[in-house]
Amino acid sequence: MDTGATTEIEVAQLLINTLHLDQSPGEIQPDEPLFGDGLGLDSIDALEIALAISKVYGFALKSDEGRAHQVFASLRNLTRYIDAHRIR
Amino acid sequence: MTAARWAGRRERGSESLIRLMIWLSLTLGWSVGHALLYPITLYFVLMVRGGRRASRAFLHRVLGRPATHLEVFRHFFGFSCVLLDRLFLLSNRLRYFDIQVNGLNDIEGALAQSRGCILLGSHLGSFEVLRVVAQQSPVPVKILMYRGNSRPYSRLIEALDPTLAESVIEVGEPEAMLRVQECAQRGEIVSILADRAPQQDRTVTVPFLGDPAAFPAGPLILAAALGTPVVLFFGIRTGNRRYQVHFEYFADRIILDRARRAEDLASWVRRYAARLEMYARQNPFNWFNFYDFWEHRTAALQAPQTRSADAAADAVSFGDVGGSCRDVASHDRRADAASGAGG
Repeated sequence: MDTGATTEIEVAQLLINTLHLDQSPGEIQPDEPLFGDGLGLDSIDALEIALAISKVYGFALKSDEGRAHQVFASLRNLTRYIDAHRIR
Repeated sequence: MTAARWAGRRERGSESLIRLMIWLSLTLGWSVGHALLYPITLYFVLMVRGGRRASRAFLHRVLGRPATHLEVFRHFFGFSCVLLDRLFLLSNRLRYFDIQVNGLNDIEGALAQSRGCILLGSHLGSFEVLRVVAQQSPVPVKILMYRGNSRPYSRLIEALDPTLAESVIEVGEPEAMLRVQECAQRGEIVSILADRAPQQDRTVTVPFLGDPAAFPAGPLILAAALGTPVVLFFGIRTGNRRYQVHFEYFADRIILDRARRAEDLASWVRRYAARLEMYARQNPFNWFNFYDFWEHRTAALQAPQTRSADAAADAVSFGDVGGSCRDVASHDRRADAASGAGG
């Protein structure tokens, strides 16, 4: 398993696989909002992403941290968060 | 009138009335509150034209003949009674009520698996009566709901039972579904109203009482993601202060096959709609969606042909009433849905 720095392309691929998106990783802009106007994800998508993250990177996103909004704000934020918290 | 507008109108129009009713009923008792429901209901029957029309059309559909004025009044009156009873149920004045519970084995069977449980309720009858049943539950019962523009009303109602707010997980909070997941991990019950599709939610259009109607897809997608068992809940009002609660085992696990996700989802939603239809036929005066429940059907049937060839015959839509309908299978996820599962 790759334990080097998490890349945006890698996380974009995770989003695409998890949510069955019809896009290539390079098409998801790092600063584009994932929810609402940007990629148009919703909170169930967030859950599916969180479940996928725990499977691949070995840590769980918690609701009580109150940071979900920020973490899911963009691909860049999500990648940074994963990089800082992954245990595998 | 759309679901959202109906909700908004009721909440605004009835806030002061609700205040007055809460005070009068809880001070002077259920009988006084009940007596007041006659003039109040008459007022609403006369004033709420859209609701009246929806009631008449629904009853016609289910009874198979035009509804009488008295039946429309009875329909509205049943709704008023449920609202009144709600005050008593929430303020724990339970001695007034006769509540029979059927299918307890079904919910116990689901809980025994310790995987949590998604409980699908509806606007057929009283959802509030669940809170009474929940007091006997071995595990906490949470309610995933969309509050949106009903906040002032929610606050009034929550004042009756301070623990209510704690049990509510509000749809729309970014971490709402993470909280649901944590509840499921602890083996708790998360209940969702699964019949009404708020605007901007993912919906699936399936046959319901003779015509296609849009149902929210969120609750079942959520159950699929979590892998929890799913149980149905109906709190039918059968008379004054009398309720019959039905729990019904629905699925061990909702599985949405990756290659045929839209079809699988449509088939689960169709099953849910069929059960709701059965209970609605048996208890038409418990149907508390006082708007045209089938209003989406034209839009759904005229959905642009963006769906892939193997997509389900039923349109699975994202977006609002006026928006285009997009299929899960079309992989077009640039929908404007941001609010998550419907409540």
